[in-house]
Parts: sequence; structure tokens; C-alpha cells
Amino acid sequence: MAAITAPLPGARVEQPKRLRVSDFLRWSVDHKIIGVQYMVTALFFFVVGGALAMLIRWELLTPSLDLMQDGQGYNQLFTIHATIMIFMWIIPMMAGFGNYLVPLMLGAKDMAFPWLNAFAFWLIPPAGFLMILGYFVGQAEAGWTAYPPLSTMFSGDGQTLWGMAVHLLGISSILGAINFIVTIKNMRPAGMGWFQMPLFVWAILATAIIQVMATPFLAGAVTLMLLDRVAGTAFFDPARGGDVLLWQNVFWFYSHPAVYIMVLPAFGMLSEILSVHSRKPVFGYRAIALSSMAIALVGFTVWAHHMFTSLTPELRIPFMITSMIIAVPTGIKVFSWLATIWGGKIHFTSAMLFALGFLSMFVIGGISGVMLGSVPFDIHVHDTYFVVSHLHFVLFGGSVFAIYAGIYHWWPKITGRMLDERLGVWHFIFTFPSFFLTFFPMHMLGLLGMPRRVAVYAPEFQALNVVVSISSFVLGISTFILLYNMVWSLRSGRKASANPWRALTLEWATSSPPPATNFYGDPVPFPDPYGYGTKEAYLYVEAQEKKYGPAEAPPERQIAPQPAAGD
Amino acid sequence: MSSINLTPQRSETKLVPSLSFIIVFVVVMVAGAFAFLSFMPLILPPEASTQAQEVDRIFGFMLFIGALVFMLVQGLLVVSVVRWRARPGDRGDGPPIHGNTTLEAVWTAIPAVIVTVIAIYSFTVWQNTRVIAFGEQSVGAIGARYAWTFNYTISQDDLPAGIDFNALKPEIQADLTDEDGVITFSATKLYTWVGQPVVVRMDAADVNHAFWIPAMRVKQDVLAGRTTEIRFTPTMAGSFRVVCAELCGAGHGNMAGELVTDPATGEQYLTGAWVIVYETEEEYLSQFFEPTATTNLLPPDDPVLVGRQILASGKYPCNTCHVLADLNWVGVVGPSLNGIGDRADERAAAGGDADATAYLIHSIRHPGDWLVPGFGNLMPQFNADSDQTNYMPDSDLNAIVAYLLAQTAAAQASAGSTTN
Repeated sequence: MAAITAPLPGARVEQPKRLRVSDFLRWSVDHKIIGVQYMVTALFFFVVGGALAMLIRWELLTPSLDLMQDGQGYNQLFTIHATIMIFMWIIPMMAGFGNYLVPLMLGAKDMAFPWLNAFAFWLIPPAGFLMILGYFVGQAEAGWTAYPPLSTMFSGDGQTLWGMAVHLLGISSILGAINFIVTIKNMRPAGMGWFQMPLFVWAILATAIIQVMATPFLAGAVTLMLLDRVAGTAFFDPARGGDVLLWQNVFWFYSHPAVYIMVLPAFGMLSEILSVHSRKPVFGYRAIALSSMAIALVGFTVWAHHMFTSLTPELRIPFMITSMIIAVPTGIKVFSWLATIWGGKIHFTSAMLFALGFLSMFVIGGISGVMLGSVPFDIHVHDTYFVVSHLHFVLFGGSVFAIYAGIYHWWPKITGRMLDERLGVWHFIFTFPSFFLTFFPMHMLGLLGMPRRVAVYAPEFQALNVVVSISSFVLGISTFILLYNMVWSLRSGRKASANPWRALTLEWATSSPPPATNFYGDPVPFPDPYGYGTKEAYLYVEAQEKKYGPAEAPPERQIAPQPAAGD
Repeated sequence: MSSINLTPQRSETKLVPSLSFIIVFVVVMVAGAFAFLSFMPLILPPEASTQAQEVDRIFGFMLFIGALVFMLVQGLLVVSVVRWRARPGDRGDGPPIHGNTTLEAVWTAIPAVIVTVIAIYSFTVWQNTRVIAFGEQSVGAIGARYAWTFNYTISQDDLPAGIDFNALKPEIQADLTDEDGVITFSATKLYTWVGQPVVVRMDAADVNHAFWIPAMRVKQDVLAGRTTEIRFTPTMAGSFRVVCAELCGAGHGNMAGELVTDPATGEQYLTGAWVIVYETEEEYLSQFFEPTATTNLLPPDDPVLVGRQILASGKYPCNTCHVLADLNWVGVVGPSLNGIGDRADERAAAGGDADATAYLIHSIRHPGDWLVPGFGNLMPQFNADSDQTNYMPDSDLNAIVAYLLAQTAAAQASAGSTTN
């Protein structure tokens, strides 16, 4: 263990500086500050997007238009709800986790391109500003998919701002992804080969590859849309030789892989959390790592399954086949996770509860996903509440539950304080059933004949809609338990030790929060990031506890990181 | 801490469940899957076409497999959290198992087989749902913001019995005897009969729409600049809602067929887009085709009656947004047309038009120029030029305006008293 404590040549060993709020409002190239900036911004937009969702559900309590002044107002609600949740909540939140954790997990001092990292983040606030500004000039009302000619001929000037905001977010996403790829390729410590990387890093790598390859297509599509809107071109105007399917193809060529941009990092977090909190190695490490890559690859060949009702009929079957294939690597992951917790020692921490919640709810999204892949069935439920249900099981039951789990798991590392576990359990108890009751009945609504994106619907659908709306209000309120827990923890939470969950990955091999240079000296990774149940792993954690204090720090005990032994 | 037990407390053989456990688990799993299947009739609309029967069969198949997977995963999760929960104070680890190649091969192969079977089954079902049948009834459809219009054609052979060809107006005669030999007429609903294969050829007047009949399980996007087709064969008589499934703007939800109850009489009637399926072809001809064809072939001379006929035919989608008691219109998005003949004069003054006729013409040709207070600029502009979308020839416009000017409170009262 001597290597752990050897100081870096020329590196100054420093105490972690106590960061102030103002440090997070400024330009900084420290990946940890940028990570927090991403996450706080994303959480802000989560609350905004959530409030819009509450308005949507309020409107849908009755079959007629009553809350909103007109149908346009309602269309603006769900357009901005979806755009915010996708582009300004889940994607930046995952980028935030990636930024904070990837260098730490690799034992690096920062990302490969710190300045670029900061630049990528600072594109997000102006994008959010543009998006919200749309409300004052005629907000976009063509849905987040912005199909022309509705988006080019009719939607208000906010649609132009929407396009500009999406452009900024796309650039941010590409720059961030390049940074991740270079960092992961070049900055792994000695002794960490590709197959010793934590699975979260694998997931971020797969995500970054998708982002770099797919996002330029979104930029291309949005550019054409903006030109049609402001420069009189006719890419999507059939009357002048344009084609409306051009948009759908290019848009989904990005937006289907974007689903994996949102869900692969969640898979990565899940592998970490399930293993640590059930004290058992990840089952089938290689299969999980490589299935992320398989998903990234096959994900580029399935886009037109979003177009089964508009695509040329002859092309529908090939896309059904690729869409079916992609279920296999996802299935591998689910079964590997089940095998991971099987036989372990499951600790019901808040992080673990949400991770298990992910596992049970994501499976429903996976099953409905395979159903939607079947052309004849999809033709019935395409553009209905069945799809709304499916995508929320994947993105809320999947990505958001993983984000919740990730927050409970890494919060001690990021802030140096523990969240209240009892509140975390209450958060789960409220969120899990209300999530299920919000989104599961939507399957039936869609099957019975309720299309999506409508403010008025047939009266026979009201009973189910009331159930959905009331559950969604509970779900919305349950978020505040987490937000309160965060504020409470920052003010009076128990101090966190370096490694409260006794995990083996490198982000825990430093103080909480880590110093500006991340580590005291060069960290040496444990050969197997999930080597639980071995004597070596036990001794490794023991040595760490000697250095930074025990995992279960008594509340009164201050944990001062020990200066490196070499001093 | 030295007391920690590094060797797993439970032997690894315990990780493999006993045979009796597996049997109980599988029985519960299969029973649960059948329980899911029993809900199927509750979550589907009536099965009103041959396509619906095919689609429901594959849905049932996938629901059963999906329910098995659901029960398997949730079952394993529940068993895990009960069986493998950490006892209080246990700081030990689970056994250091990193994988099992056989197991991993199994859970790669089985899902691969399942999705292959689903894909093949889906392909055969899909082929069956798009068979082009002999003797199809071909109907044209226009999707416009926010209404559907269905176009039927009449050729000389289709002329209803008892129509004297010589009594037809010269231009209609000319149309029927030229090369194509057909004229078209429009309706807001799609009419057909049981067992008749239908093909709908669809165009979009403005943005994309999607034509969906939930009871028939068929859907096809209606794309600007392209003509798309949809096929179904009804198996059951009745009225089935047509829904627009592709976001088309503020009134997207209003494009679906509605069942409206008249608050005064309690009478129920259908507005908007529906598929009306009659029991037999004879019923279809006598109830719909012949009366509608006759009124279209022999239009009255009185412009008020012509205007009423044009509006009642659904050629223009006015009924989706406006209220008009005479025609049973119940739209609420636009201003009421009841008694418009009384109000047109003052509106003309407010809107800067010379007289009531000019005001109504202006309001149809350029609806956005002056809005009735309290209403948004939602109405499409109806153009005089046949090259443009929403084409409304001057002859139609003048008849409609004549009819609207006749809509006065006095006329309504007398109409009411005569029917009572």
C-alpha cells in the first residue's frame, strides 16, 4: 500500500478547501465544481419541468379544456415539459455525475480538457434562458419532436428560440462527450486496464460515443428547421419540393440514440450501487460492459421504429428486427443485476431502495418496449398514452430512479455530509407507488384509444385520468422530501467519512469532499473494482479507514484527512 | 473488527434454489401471467375489424410473455430482498462470485429466441393486416386542421335508382360523361358496411395528421405532400370513433369524433369524424349513399338551401369549432353562429366592413383580420384560388353567406315552432 501514500512529484498536498456558494456561481475548471454546477442546474430545471407536468395533469383531470386558455397553451406545456426534462434535466444531470465521478474513479486529477469542460457547462444556462424566453414571444407548440410542417409553418416564434436553445445544448453535449472519451482513453491510472474500469465509466464511455456520433444529426435537422422558419428555405415544405419525412428520419437518427444517452449512465450507476449495497461483485462484469457498447452500436440502426405509421411500409420490418435485437443486451443487464444481488447482503439504504425500484420499474418499460417494436401492435398504440407510459417507465422509472439512487449514494462524497436515511426511505415510500399509479394506467388509456398530446379527450377516459393525475400530484410532492433532505443535510447533516459505503472504486479513496487535486498522492486502484467478499478487499477498506477514519463515523467525530505519510 | 467473518456465512450451494422452490416459483409465475391475460378484454376497445382480430391475437401473445418476464423479474427481486437482506450489524460481504458462463449464455439465448419468435409472428400478422382485397371500397380522406373530410365518387353506374339523367344540371352531366365519368361528394363521416374491405387514400391539407380508428386497430400518418393508404375490413356494425393521432395544433384533440348529448332533448348525436358501419350494403345504399348522392346531384336553386347543403355536407370543417343549432353543430372554439344574421351588421361596423355580406365574406376569406372579442385567431383562411389549400370557390362562399345571413333569431324561433 506504500504507493498510495507516495506524494506526486511537485504536487502540493492540501487540505480540502471549504467551498462557498459563490465558488459554484463562477467560471471554474475544477471538474468537481463543474459537476456540481451541472447537477444543481439540472435539478432546478427538474423542478420547472415537474411544475409543467403538474399543470398538464391538472388540465387532464377533466375531458374538456378548462385550466388552459386554449389548446395552444396546452401544447406549449407538454412541448416545454419534454424538452426541459430531456435536454436540461436528465442529460445534464448524467453529465454532472460523469464529470464529478469519472476523473475520481480513474484516479485522475481532472478531466483531459478542463477549460472545454467548463465551456460545455456554461452553454446550458443561456439555452435554458432562451427556452423560457419563448413564453413571451409565442412558445413552441409542436411537441419536443417538432415535426414540420407544424413546427415550420405554424408554431410561434418560440419555436425559433427552441431551435437555438437545442443547438446550444447539442454543442454542450458534444464537447462534454469528446472530453469524456479522451479522459477515459488516456487518463486511467497504472494498473487499470479497460476491464478494470468501474462500470459507470464504461457506461459514460458508451454514452459519450453516442453523443459524439449522433448529436451532429440533431444539429443538422434543427439547422434546416431554423432556415425554413427564418430564411425562406423549403427543406420540409412539400409545396416547394421539400419533404416532411426528412425531418423525422434525421431527428430520430439522433433522438433514438438519445434514449440511450439518457439511460446508459443510469445503467452504469445501477451496476455500482447494486454491487456496493449488496456487498457482492457485479455478476458478469464483461457482459455488462460490452452490452453497453452493443447497445450504443445497435442503437444507431433502430431509429425508424418511431415512424412505423409514417415510414414507407416496406421499410418497417427491417427496423422491427433491429429493434427486437436491442432487447437482448438490455435483458443481459437486467439478469446480471438480479444475479448480482442474489446471494449478497442487501443493505436497504435509500440508494439501494431506488436502485431496486429502478430494476423493477425499468423492466416494465423494457417489456412494453418489445411490444412497441412489433409493427402491427405498434400501429395501434403509436402516438397514444401507451407510448407515454412506456417512455416514462424508461426515463422516470429508469433514469430518474437511478439519479435518485446516485444522489443518495454519492452525496456524501460530493458534500462531505450524509443525507438523512429515514427521510430517504420516506422519499422512496411516497415515490415508488405514486410513480407506478401515475404511469401504469396510461398503458390502458392508450390501448383503449386515447391519443397523446390532447387537452380534450373522450369522457369515458376520465376515471383513469383522474387516478393518473392524483397519483402524479403525490409524485410531484414527494420530490420535495428529497429537496428538503438536501438542504437539511447541507446545514446540519452528519459529517461523512471518506468511504461510508465501504466501496472499492477509487472515488472513495480520498476525503469527502475530495481536495482540489482529488487525491493525496497517486491513488492505486484495487485490482477488481467489485472484488467484494475477499480478504484483499477487506484489508483494502481497512487501510483506507485507517487513513481517513472509519466508515461509520460517530456523529461528534471530526474527520480531518491525514497528511500523506511521505511528508 | 477482527471478528469479521470473511468466509460467507451461508455456503455457496445455498445459492442454487431447491427444486420445490423452483416449482412453486414457476407455478406462481404462470398463474400470474394468466391473471394478466384475463384483463385483456377490459383494456381494449371493441374488436371491429379483421385487422383488430389479428392485432389482438399478437397482443395477447406478447402480453402473456411479457407477464411471464414481469413475474420472473419481480419474483426474483422480492425473493432476493427477503432472503438476502443483511442482518443488523452484519458487516460482512457476500460470496465473491463474478459470473457463470452457462447462466449468462442462457439468459442471452432465451430472450434472443423470444424476440425472434415475436418478430416472425409480427411479420405474419402484419402481412395479413395489409392484404389488398378484391372489390375494395375506395374512399378519399382529407385531414385538415381540425377536421376530417371523406370524399366519395359517383360514376354513371352508381347513380341512385330513380334519378333522371336528363334532370341533372348540365355541368354535372358533363362531369359524369367525360373521360373519368365521375363526380365526388363529401361527408364528415366515413360510411361502409360489414365485411366490405375499405381502402382510404389520405391527403393532408396543411400539416401532418394521423388517421386512427381504435376499434379497427389501424393507424396511418397523413403526410403533407404525400398520399398514404390505410386498409380495414369491418366485422361489426356500429359507430366507431376516428381519432387524429399526430399533433396538428391547438385543436388536435377536437379532431376525434364526439358523442354529444343535447341538453334540452337528451338526444345523443355524433359529431366530428366517425366510421359508420351498416349491417349490409343495401342499408348503406339506402341510408347514406343514395340520399346523399341525390341531394348532391340535384342541388336546389335557392342559395340559402344550397349554402345549408354545403355546410351540412361537411365539405368545410366549420362544424368542429362553431355552434349552429340549425345543423346541430356544437363546436366551442369559435364564436357561435346562432343568430349571426342579426349580429352581422354591428360586427361589420366594428370590423370596418361595408355591410353584413361584406363582413361575412371578409371573415371567411381573411378570418384573422378582425376577431370577435374573446376568441383567438384559430380559423383557417379559406382561399378563392384553387391552387391554395383550403380552397373555397366563390359559388360556395356566396351560398354559405346567404345561408348565414338567414340565421336570425326570428328564423330560428319559427323553425323551432314548426318542428314542435
